[in-house]
Amino acid sequence: MNDKLNSKTPRKLLFLFEILSLSLIFLYSWEGIQMETYTIAIGLVVLIYFSNFILSKISSGDNYIFLIVSMLISIGIIMIYRISPELGLKQLMWLTVGITMFFAAYFAIKYIGFWEQLAPLYLAACYILFAVTFVMGTRTNGAINWISIAGISIQPAEITKIIVVFLLASFYGGIDKYRKIKNAELFLMGIMYSFVALLFLQRDLGAAVIFFGIFTGLQYIYSEERRLIWANIGLSIMGAAAGYLLFDHVKVRVVTWLDPWPHINDKGYQITQSLFAIAEGGFFGTGLGRGNPSFIPLSYNDFIFSAISEEMGIFTGIGIIMLFMLLVYRGFKIALRQESQFYRIIALGISLLFGIQSFVIIGGVLKVIPLTGLTLPFVSYGGTSVVTSFIALGILQGASEKRGKAGKANE
Amino acid sequence: MFDLMSIGFKYVFVFIIYLFIFTIIRMIYLDIRNVDYGNLDSGSYLKLLNRIDTLPYNLSDSYPVETELTLGRQKDNTIQIKDPYISKHHFRIIKDEEEFFLEDLGSSNGTYLNGEKVLDVTRIRKGDMLKVGELEFIFIDRE
Repeated sequence: MNDKLNSKTPRKLLFLFEILSLSLIFLYSWEGIQMETYTIAIGLVVLIYFSNFILSKISSGDNYIFLIVSMLISIGIIMIYRISPELGLKQLMWLTVGITMFFAAYFAIKYIGFWEQLAPLYLAACYILFAVTFVMGTRTNGAINWISIAGISIQPAEITKIIVVFLLASFYGGIDKYRKIKNAELFLMGIMYSFVALLFLQRDLGAAVIFFGIFTGLQYIYSEERRLIWANIGLSIMGAAAGYLLFDHVKVRVVTWLDPWPHINDKGYQITQSLFAIAEGGFFGTGLGRGNPSFIPLSYNDFIFSAISEEMGIFTGIGIIMLFMLLVYRGFKIALRQESQFYRIIALGISLLFGIQSFVIIGGVLKVIPLTGLTLPFVSYGGTSVVTSFIALGILQGASEKRGKAGKANE
Repeated sequence: MFDLMSIGFKYVFVFIIYLFIFTIIRMIYLDIRNVDYGNLDSGSYLKLLNRIDTLPYNLSDSYPVETELTLGRQKDNTIQIKDPYISKHHFRIIKDEEEFFLEDLGSSNGTYLNGEKVLDVTRIRKGDMLKVGELEFIFIDRE
């Protein structure tokens, strides 16, 4: 019964999915078919198939996470191409950069051994990135979270997320060293709160939620001072309440979450369009190219989940959620297997990052929790998002086979 | 034409995505079931060197060798492998006065110890490599 089941089966399914969806894309743009349509088709298949093939040859670690992510990016790029061929082509370019960075991060983790000693550097890097955002940042959709260097716009908070995971890992991984300093954990908590406060000032609520989520998760697992966890939960509730009362942009999110219908023409437009789209799709969707995802603002980015649910059905939407669950589960599995405390926390932190980010944005577009602007990792369009998600994945892949100090001692 | 295809394909897409998820879950399930949490820090065992998820059959990471261990295609073996290249009773390892011996049970494709075909009963020591078909084991003795 298992005879046919081996590691090649999912790769073949992935291949089949791509061929079918691309043939549909060809038919969809039959009249205006151009060179770029061919580029995207060949580029996508070659990119995904070969990166999976290469990885299975060079990596002895986990071989599921990249497969799961390949499926996510395939669904994502086809939807983006259908919404806007131009963005689809750009996304393909970002995916190529992202996968290159994935391999770079994987090798960096595998062959470089001093990551756990760089805590002060991580801390400095976080503050520098925040400072740069404030000085050079431009305001889009109400948030200052973009900077522009040499014509390329990047979102520093996306990079900071990964550095924060490293910072927390080097702290909790080397906690014996820090325990000598009085109130070291309290100090760390102060630093994390300063990050969240800075993100609040930039109006980047989504990133603030992620930073807080990762910190709370890791603190809950590793902190020995239970009082601090309670203090953290108490402070966060007070902070959320204060944010709601003090800042208008927080209030808008909560109001449109509780009842968007009176504000359908302005504040609640996005969320109501998203709900209409999901309802329109039903179980199996309207079919690719037959819906109207362009009615949803930012349908290729934050709201890509609604656009996919409209055209490919809520079953595909549930599939995406399941893929994320599997990805996070694999991340936890990697953490459990890892013997070095530092890499274990890295693996946990990155799994938490993917889990929280996908939960916050999918929950947001479904109106389950207040909407905060975030990208759906690997699926949404966005250069920084794709590249940093791939870097995080590369780190996870590296952590899945890294033998830390504890591991060596056992041999 | 396009509309018709699009409507047809949406079911196919959902089917493929779920089949994909299903195969991954199944691979993970096999992976978890085969993890042996027993105490392997002491005693002797055979450790599989192939990656379990690249093989088309159920195998564990490692098998303890107590007094006797047999490998073959038939059910009464300690390690049963349903592979046409492996004979019904392929080889066995027996323990005799704290020493371990490997014996080929007349298999058609042979058993290889450190790259050499096993003809007689041969003593094995820790770190020895056993090869049967495409499977490779390392013998580990902690005593």
